[in-house]
Amino acid sequence: MSPVRSICIVGGGTAGWLTAGIIAARHGRGLQITLVESETIGIVGVGEGTWPTMRSTLKKMGVSETEFFRQCNTSFKQGAKFSRWTTGEANDFYYHPLVLPEGFPSLDLAPYWTKYSAEHENAQSFSSSVCYQEAVCEMGLAPKLITSPEYAGIANYAYHLDAGRFASFIREHCVKNLGVRHIVDDVTRVGRTEGGDIAYVETSRSGRLSGDLFIDCSGFRALLLGQTLGVPFVNRGDVLFVDRALAVQVPYEDEDSNIVPHTQSVAQKNGWIWDIGLQNRRGVGYVFSSRHTDTDAALDELRAYVGAGHEDLQPREIRINPGHRETFWKGNCVAVGLSGGFLEPLEASALVLIELSAEMISALMPATRETMDIVARRFNETTRYRWDRIIDFLKLHYILSRRTDSAFWIDNRDPVGIPQSLREQMELWRYRAPGDQDFMSNSEMFPAASYQYVLFGMGFRMDASLAALDRDPGSAQRAFAQNEALKVKWTRVLPRNRDLINKIKEHGLQKI
Amino acid sequence: MRLVELSRSAHAGLRIRTQQIEATAAGQHLIPLVVSEFRKAAVQYPIVFAKSPEDGRFAPYVLMGLAPEENLFWSGTELDAAYVPLNVRRQPFYVGDNPDGAGVLCVDLESPCLDESGTEVLVNPDGSDSDYLKKVLATLGELVAGRAPTGQFVANLLSLDLLAPILLDIVLDDGTPLKVQGLYGLDEERFRQLPAAELSILWSSGRLDLIYAVLLAGGQIFNLIRLKNRRSALGRAWHSHD
Repeated sequence: MSPVRSICIVGGGTAGWLTAGIIAARHGRGLQITLVESETIGIVGVGEGTWPTMRSTLKKMGVSETEFFRQCNTSFKQGAKFSRWTTGEANDFYYHPLVLPEGFPSLDLAPYWTKYSAEHENAQSFSSSVCYQEAVCEMGLAPKLITSPEYAGIANYAYHLDAGRFASFIREHCVKNLGVRHIVDDVTRVGRTEGGDIAYVETSRSGRLSGDLFIDCSGFRALLLGQTLGVPFVNRGDVLFVDRALAVQVPYEDEDSNIVPHTQSVAQKNGWIWDIGLQNRRGVGYVFSSRHTDTDAALDELRAYVGAGHEDLQPREIRINPGHRETFWKGNCVAVGLSGGFLEPLEASALVLIELSAEMISALMPATRETMDIVARRFNETTRYRWDRIIDFLKLHYILSRRTDSAFWIDNRDPVGIPQSLREQMELWRYRAPGDQDFMSNSEMFPAASYQYVLFGMGFRMDASLAALDRDPGSAQRAFAQNEALKVKWTRVLPRNRDLINKIKEHGLQKI
Repeated sequence: MRLVELSRSAHAGLRIRTQQIEATAAGQHLIPLVVSEFRKAAVQYPIVFAKSPEDGRFAPYVLMGLAPEENLFWSGTELDAAYVPLNVRRQPFYVGDNPDGAGVLCVDLESPCLDESGTEVLVNPDGSDSDYLKKVLATLGELVAGRAPTGQFVANLLSLDLLAPILLDIVLDDGTPLKVQGLYGLDEERFRQLPAAELSILWSSGRLDLIYAVLLAGGQIFNLIRLKNRRSALGRAWHSHD
């Protein structure tokens, strides 16, 4: 029997340090965790948007939310506003907020809203009818009060963060408070056992680092799982066309400019632009398909978006190879982060997959090498399921567009590129709204509510009459009215986003 | 509220109607407290902690009601209590901050305590401070002196994780359920588990006394419930005669 006592993590970006922190927080000193990172290899550091899961991840790690705001240029994210995705017109937008629709899931407002909006020309949008968060976002308000405890919100929220600072912030916590051993060195060679496992990584100055389990957080190059163990990469570019990003950092007009409390995603001719407000700057980037346009043309679109006065900004180009590894855990090596795969940044799936993968490794941590293969099989099954669901959900944003101004948008609606699973869901949703019954696994990524927000936000209309799902109009009326009341209440009470963040930095949030 | 710096010449004519002073608390269920008052307050009110809506920081308060804007000690003419906190007695005077950090004596010119029919004056005919003003200055002096030790006491409690939300889940005599939220108190379990070394530090700094004052004052909640029941019973009696 060979017990699992030590873990060696290779790579120290966000993936490496989050994984180290999540495992160390759960297992304490029962496992010895070593993280080796190179000084010479930088981190990609594009992950700037999180999911609400990051709140519980950081809380469980014992991180102070106040310090997180102070050190990572952190800001609140209350979902995403998608502009020009459906028709491409200037007034075309919808929200995917983080607060569930009123009454959901015990009451499904979708059929009632569908019926009402079909009969009334000036009906409110779906997200505005069923959720107060759109109003909060449109007014630039924060999701909580200075009296709210750390990690607790009035409205559900996630974060925008400075990826470079975030990695070092978590590193400091891991090393100082969680007992993670930190080695700064370059890995020069990977040693194997006779059985094919990884025995050690050889470093320039620190000798051989062994481990019972190796976690590959080496980024796109997948040093262990890809280069050493030869697990093939599965390209998903047939479904998701975006394969390039041009990223810039845009300063605020002045230091009191409000921080937009949600991710802005603005569709362009051959992709879309993300616009994320941190405390000190905005992170803006154009992700596009190199099969449909070239970097120069994309740059023109990006410059037009950023506007006058920023001509000197030098965009960084990032190549995206959309896809993931065929398996994620092989032998005694598991990949977390970019080494496992990467898709375009739509819906911020990168950081959440790191959290979920590390959580799962931590929870399923095999006690011995002999039981590791069972865990690996489960991990692979779940992780593959998660990638597939993310791909379905991202593709949903493209197939619902009615834009015809470029081959990019038209090609996206070609059934050849739509996964079978998504096609089947769309068939069912012609007659009833997405519900929990469509997402029965314990490993679901996006809740049914998210599908509703995107579907109805993008003008998808179901024929709810066949199923007669609108049989409780009284409850629906009360829920719609409740949502209107919550809009009034919270837009009156919640502070301006920048103001609350300044207060948090000055006074801190209480732990209780 | 309109705070201006008190000037012994410009405000020499101000008169204080002392009956109005306690009335300023009639619509308040929380009155801030400084640590020097804890023992006196504990004989009458629960001592709780709450966050300032301005900066989220904790401060100690006496609890005078079981709902916002409710003061169960207000009889209609006075606070019917053995001890009236400094923060009530100081009305309508405040200490503002100068840019150089020194305190400035201010008066709220919109306070109902200022009234021509008032019996107290601030300045004697010969221009010297009246006995009343001297009393006010002493009250304000105790409040100012209490700021730092009160803040340190709260910081100490937080660093020991000794504060926890209070869940007041009360059913009144007439069956009305009552929930009071947003209040924090001492986490007695954690306090009992403190290592002897920590207790010794609390004892030598005088803060152990304060902790016990807060713990004992907790029992005053039963008095509040009694007052609340009495008030609702009076309310019912009144309405039954309609």
